Amino acid sequence: MFGLIGHSTSFEEARAKARTLGFEEFADGDLDVWCSAPPQLVERLQVTSATGKTIDGAYIDSCFVPEMLSRFKTARRKVLSAMELAQKNGIDITALGGFTSIIFENFNLLKEQQIRSTTLDWERFTTGNTHTAWVICRQVETNAPRLGIDLAQARVAVVGATGDIGSAVCRWLSQRTGVKELLLVARQPQPLLDLQQELGGGRILSLEEALPEADVVVWVASLPQTLSIDAENLKSPCLMIDGGYPKNLDSKANGEGIHVLKGGIVEFFSDITWQMMEMAEMDNPKRQMFACFAEAILLEFEGIHTNFSWGRNNITLEKMDLIGAASQRHGFHTLGLALPADPVPADRTQPALTSA
Amino acid sequence: MATLASPAVSEAFAADQLPDFGTDSYKDAYSRINAIVIEGEQEAHDNYISIGTLLPDQAEELAKLARMELKHMKGFTACANNLGVTADMPFAKEFFAPLHGNFQKALAEGKVTTCLLIQAILIEAFAISAYHIYIPVADPFARKITEGVVKDEYTHLNYGQEWLKANLDTCREELEQANRDNLPLVRKMLEQVAGDAAVLHMDQEDLMADFLTSYQEALMEVGLTSREIAKMAAAALVG
Repeated sequence: MFGLIGHSTSFEEARAKARTLGFEEFADGDLDVWCSAPPQLVERLQVTSATGKTIDGAYIDSCFVPEMLSRFKTARRKVLSAMELAQKNGIDITALGGFTSIIFENFNLLKEQQIRSTTLDWERFTTGNTHTAWVICRQVETNAPRLGIDLAQARVAVVGATGDIGSAVCRWLSQRTGVKELLLVARQPQPLLDLQQELGGGRILSLEEALPEADVVVWVASLPQTLSIDAENLKSPCLMIDGGYPKNLDSKANGEGIHVLKGGIVEFFSDITWQMMEMAEMDNPKRQMFACFAEAILLEFEGIHTNFSWGRNNITLEKMDLIGAASQRHGFHTLGLALPADPVPADRTQPALTSA
Repeated sequence: MATLASPAVSEAFAADQLPDFGTDSYKDAYSRINAIVIEGEQEAHDNYISIGTLLPDQAEELAKLARMELKHMKGFTACANNLGVTADMPFAKEFFAPLHGNFQKALAEGKVTTCLLIQAILIEAFAISAYHIYIPVADPFARKITEGVVKDEYTHLNYGQEWLKANLDTCREELEQANRDNLPLVRKMLEQVAGDAAVLHMDQEDLMADFLTSYQEALMEVGLTSREIAKMAAAALVG
């Protein structure tokens, strides 16, 4: 059985969702109530692969909302309790979605293996970052040419280059895609130098320096609220892959020739009936989902019950190959740009997509 | 990541440090918290013996559970002695009075379900979560004792779960009513000791959240659905 640990994108959305699902009492509670609320296994579902194999899964809402990010102990408890609930329900492989893996990583929860009477078995969890990185790379490879960008001649800026997903994306783009030049952007100098050495290339730049030079920008860092992007200074065309969380790049960068694509999102070949995704920020919630969630589904399809994506900078090209092949085999496609030139889809449930 | 500010992290680590067990303020707070634990274990003993009068065929097993509670009580009394603290028993008696009253009323009416919900589910779930939160910030002596106790308490929780599970068809309504009547009391009790618990470095939100998690788990074992449980849990949280 696979599991997904998710959360609402805001407190208001969480309350609305609780009301929809029949948890009216929680919907009426204030933020303090939600801070104390235990995680909920809200839904069980089945998914059938393009190969015909059917698997069972469960969706766990951690009852975390981004408004709790400043409360360290609350955030930590929410993540660990949701993981405990997954394990107690016998779920073999669970993906940590949204802020869950970010909190796990940034608050160093690896040392918090004991929660109450449960010793968390890390093998049962995955960050899903390998699949996310692979999807983002494929999104670059398939969408840049559609905008007339020749990747062999292109400069690709990776913002958040030294992170788990960012470094994997850099590795793939330099060794597999063969872009002309990688522009490496991150906050800390030393990891950037280490990455540059590992890659055997790439230019380290500040965000302000990198943006005007980039034909493609891959964002895998959260955007500071204060960030503003001057569209005048960007190339045209410019492909921007919004691979961070939450996805809000389209509100920061828009203008002639700037194409923002939600990064790390996949679409399944058939409808999945799940209530929880109805209110997620997806255009087609019956089919679209975060690639990290899809990784747990893929690992279950493949019978790989291990923490496939775990820790930092452990994503190899071989692992990306493996998960990418599984992704295609079981019927996932990477989300593509909906360009005006695209033919209008006959069936609204089949929006313009690029097959991975 | 920009959204995860580091000050919150360092602040939380500071709160995780051990308190100074020798200060007057610690001992003062401990005199009430420790008394609550001692009184709780004593009442648990008495309650299991009482439940045995309603379930004569299980009186022997219940007496066994009751004996364990007395052992716990002695252990926690030793914890107070070790710190040179006198437990404030009158405070603890008053603290438990509303819940004690509800239990006695249910006992007099022969309501096994209500008695089990109060003692074997509510109080045990509360004790388990409170002990789990106490253990990392306890003095070394109390830590060892509490670690032993918490293992036993799971046995007690399990007893209540099993009985209610086997009788769920006939006891569901009474279970819901008993929850409505008693869960809000547990929240009030928790709020009442939040200040003292904070001196012991036990966070009120942690206590409430862990209690609700244990309570939810117990009711899940009994066979209630997550929606039913959420409705029941909300009785403590909302209003």
